[in-house]
Amino acid sequence: MTSRAAARIPARAGIGLRAAHYRDVLETRPAVGWLEVHSENYFGEGGAPLHYLERIRPHYPLSLHGVGMSLGSTDPLDYAHLAKLKALIARFEPGLVSDHLSWSSVGGRHFNDLLPLPYTEEALAHVSRRVLLAQEYLGRRVLVENPSTYLQHAESSIPEWEFLAELARRTGCGILLDVNNVYVSARNHRLDARRFIDSLPGRHVAEIHLAGFTSRNEILIDTHSRPVAAEVWALFARAVERFGPRPALIEWDADLPPLAMLAAEAGHAQALLEGGHALAA
Amino acid sequence: MPSLREAQLAFAERVFGAGRPISPREQVYRNNVFISLTGALADVYPVVQRLVGEKFFTQLARRYIRSHPSRSGNLHDFGRDLTRFMLQIPDLKSLPYLPDVAALEWACHEAFHGADAPAFDFTQVTDAQDARPRLHPAARLVASRYPVLAIWEANQENEPGVVDLDAGGDWLVVFRRELLVEIQRLTPGEFALLAGLRDDMTLGEACEAALAAEPALDLPAAMGRIVTNALLTTGVSP
Repeated sequence: MTSRAAARIPARAGIGLRAAHYRDVLETRPAVGWLEVHSENYFGEGGAPLHYLERIRPHYPLSLHGVGMSLGSTDPLDYAHLAKLKALIARFEPGLVSDHLSWSSVGGRHFNDLLPLPYTEEALAHVSRRVLLAQEYLGRRVLVENPSTYLQHAESSIPEWEFLAELARRTGCGILLDVNNVYVSARNHRLDARRFIDSLPGRHVAEIHLAGFTSRNEILIDTHSRPVAAEVWALFARAVERFGPRPALIEWDADLPPLAMLAAEAGHAQALLEGGHALAA
Repeated sequence: MPSLREAQLAFAERVFGAGRPISPREQVYRNNVFISLTGALADVYPVVQRLVGEKFFTQLARRYIRSHPSRSGNLHDFGRDLTRFMLQIPDLKSLPYLPDVAALEWACHEAFHGADAPAFDFTQVTDAQDARPRLHPAARLVASRYPVLAIWEANQENEPGVVDLDAGGDWLVVFRRELLVEIQRLTPGEFALLAGLRDDMTLGEACEAALAAEPALDLPAAMGRIVTNALLTTGVSP
């Protein structure tokens, strides 16, 4: 569609678009590189969410980020869910489509949360199969994001970065590197976050997420409710240094601040993207 | 080593099953899941939550989440059966209107997400009796023997109003005007007319049903209101 912003997501900073900001985005058109929405929020048949997304889409490249594909589940792949996503893709022509390295359902019961997988050969083969099926059905590449995790399975034998890299190698999927999740998981499991970034093969990294966490009883929780932490900015700068600039997103869901604050966070990410580029060049 | 399938079934049973002691790490997942699903219910049912109080609502939500688990990766589908579920709760017998308030709130939720569709074009109709306009896909009908709209309205403000529970029942249509959900009272005849069109009657049959429900119904005025509010759309030909 010629009246639309290009589909391709630029290697610039973007922000997550939330319902409370629809009007503000239309009226003020913040100078961010692109927008990302939660796919499932647009699974309704009509009404306000789709109305606003239609009006905003011409002005920004758009990415669809899902939480409901349940790629790691051992239940059958949910083709009803994928059909809705496919229709949304056809309607909005997103530059990127992503979901998580996690499972959300078993025995037909959905927990609507990103539950941790054991990182084993069996899980790798299983997730690879499902990513291939999902990509085949959707007719496009999907990005898979490292989740924040609060426990590790004793049977895990593969580091998360290696699991993701091998998944990308086997399926052609991209990696959505959530730097905040790397930090949260590393702190929760006493791992080295920097080593994660330094070990991930950069060619598969197609997008980066940034967000804020909170701490409860010495466990870091990925709440998307705060500004990006200084330690996470440092990891992001390292990722940019290693991989070069990539589309980078500020995610904020709970205690949503004014749009200007999100744009300011994106501005910071943009400066690091440009600084990192200069370093890498 | 358990298979991935066994591990997932065991994890679900341990972390989301009733009441067993679990580790603090597992507790994070239990909390996340119950808080987000309870939040999804509270988003759809704010008046129910207010009527029973936050604490009771949270307990109600926990029981509902266990007995009527989410069946979809899309949270908008979650909570459909809360009305029926509440009918089985003995503690709620003192609030007999509560399930109908829940039904009204679910209708609002469905109206918000319902499909867009053009209003029925009566200028194209040659034979009104056999015309088959359909209830708009984003419109819902709710009937109650209690004054549920007054109850709903009294709980929109910070200071709850007083409602006379003996004020009689409501026949309501919930629909979208522009993008906002609106609730309007109907007469019994108007309700029967719209219900008939929802249930595949011809316009002639629906008007008969309307007059049977309310012999004194002013049919032209009723049709006028229905057209003004764009409550009808074109039916699919049989």
